Amino acid sequence: MFRMGKNDHAAIRAVLSGDKDAYGALVVRHSQSLFRVAFRITGNEADAEDVVQEAFLRGYRKLESFESRSSFGTWIYRIAVRCALEKIGSRKTGDAGRVGEENDPEQNEIQVADGAAGPDRLLLSGEIGALQEIAMRSLTPTEQTAFVLRHMEDRTSEEIAAVLGIQPNAAKQAVFRAVHKLRLRLAPLRVRI
Amino acid sequence: MKHLNEEELIEHNYGKSQDSAAGEHLASCPECAAAFAALRSDLADMDFAQPPARDAAYGERVWRSIAPLLPAYETHKRSWLHGGLLRGLSYAAACAVMMVCAFFAGRLWEHKQTHLAQAPVPVAPSPAPVQKHAAPPPQRVVVVVLGDHLDRSERLLVELKHADADSPEMVSPLRDEARSLLAANRICRKNALHDDDPALTSALEHLDHVLAELASQPGSLNATELVRLQDEMNSSGLLFEVRVLRSRVPDRQPRGNNRSNGGTI
Repeated sequence: MFRMGKNDHAAIRAVLSGDKDAYGALVVRHSQSLFRVAFRITGNEADAEDVVQEAFLRGYRKLESFESRSSFGTWIYRIAVRCALEKIGSRKTGDAGRVGEENDPEQNEIQVADGAAGPDRLLLSGEIGALQEIAMRSLTPTEQTAFVLRHMEDRTSEEIAAVLGIQPNAAKQAVFRAVHKLRLRLAPLRVRI
Repeated sequence: MKHLNEEELIEHNYGKSQDSAAGEHLASCPECAAAFAALRSDLADMDFAQPPARDAAYGERVWRSIAPLLPAYETHKRSWLHGGLLRGLSYAAACAVMMVCAFFAGRLWEHKQTHLAQAPVPVAPSPAPVQKHAAPPPQRVVVVVLGDHLDRSERLLVELKHADADSPEMVSPLRDEARSLLAANRICRKNALHDDDPALTSALEHLDHVLAELASQPGSLNATELVRLQDEMNSSGLLFEVRVLRSRVPDRQPRGNNRSNGGTI
């Protein structure tokens, strides 16, 4: 079905020449990396899958504007990050009230026992993870995306800036703010561990 | 010693080069080194959920889910080409029509201008509206007529100057010519007066006087009358004046109001 032997540019040429199925090769080749970053930004499996599909759909429609000098992987990755950013942006708009309540650091304080990893410890670890996720969702979409790309995806400030459509310095500042906020949010956990 | 702030520590943590000035400072500053260690520890503790693994068939599933939504590029391109071609042809046709219209409009305008230039301009008591329409071309006609009148007058005066009263066959044509010139001279004088051209008016008045006397002679001029006219002409320097005016005629072209002479002279 897919001509996996072809490289990305050959597949793109084939698609633009009318071979729609050639796009399938690109989808298969890049789905995993797109899902990974989409999940890290959205924090949700279903949303991440939606983002992957939306990114490939947008990529197909914009394929004529793709410049053959760049890498298709990078190009579609950027589209996926933007889709994910829109996803969490719309979600945060809808959940603004609820997120505000959950973000109260005083309410997030929990007792964490020190010791071996027993059932209680595992349960608490799960809670810590959940609180970390809540802290993550308290960031703005730009801060969250910048942090994910920097901390988890190991992207440079320039790459983050290109994806977010901002200046590199602004991308750097977004990472700073994200780290600062996360440390503040998670400080209560740190004290009690 | 200036300590590193949080931003610098974060930058150093994510920075590629570890041997920077920040790195040197951290090596020599225990306080900053402790802050940096705390930062790294905090970041390491941020154990965010790892993306769930997708199986090898995931990509194919994604493709199957989106493939029905994608139009083939060939069709898409062809329709684009088709639309673009039609649009291009429409533009070309519109441009061609505009060019043809512009061409014929130009021709029509040129034709109209030529007619205006060639049409006789009627003498009107108040010439303002006519003058508005007729700019340079009618003026050219008037200048020619005025020049012709002065030429004819000059010839008449020269012949009058050298006329011999004993040869009536020579004097008689002078009288006929004077009658012919008289009407034209009056119109010219009237317009020169209207144009506020004192030199021309004065010369044409003198000429009018001579022409009138010459034209009013019932029979052939007798010697006395002829000599009197010649003296009058010579004393007023009429011939010289007419010659000067004749030489001025080309310079008078830009002046506009004599144009009404052209139709009646």
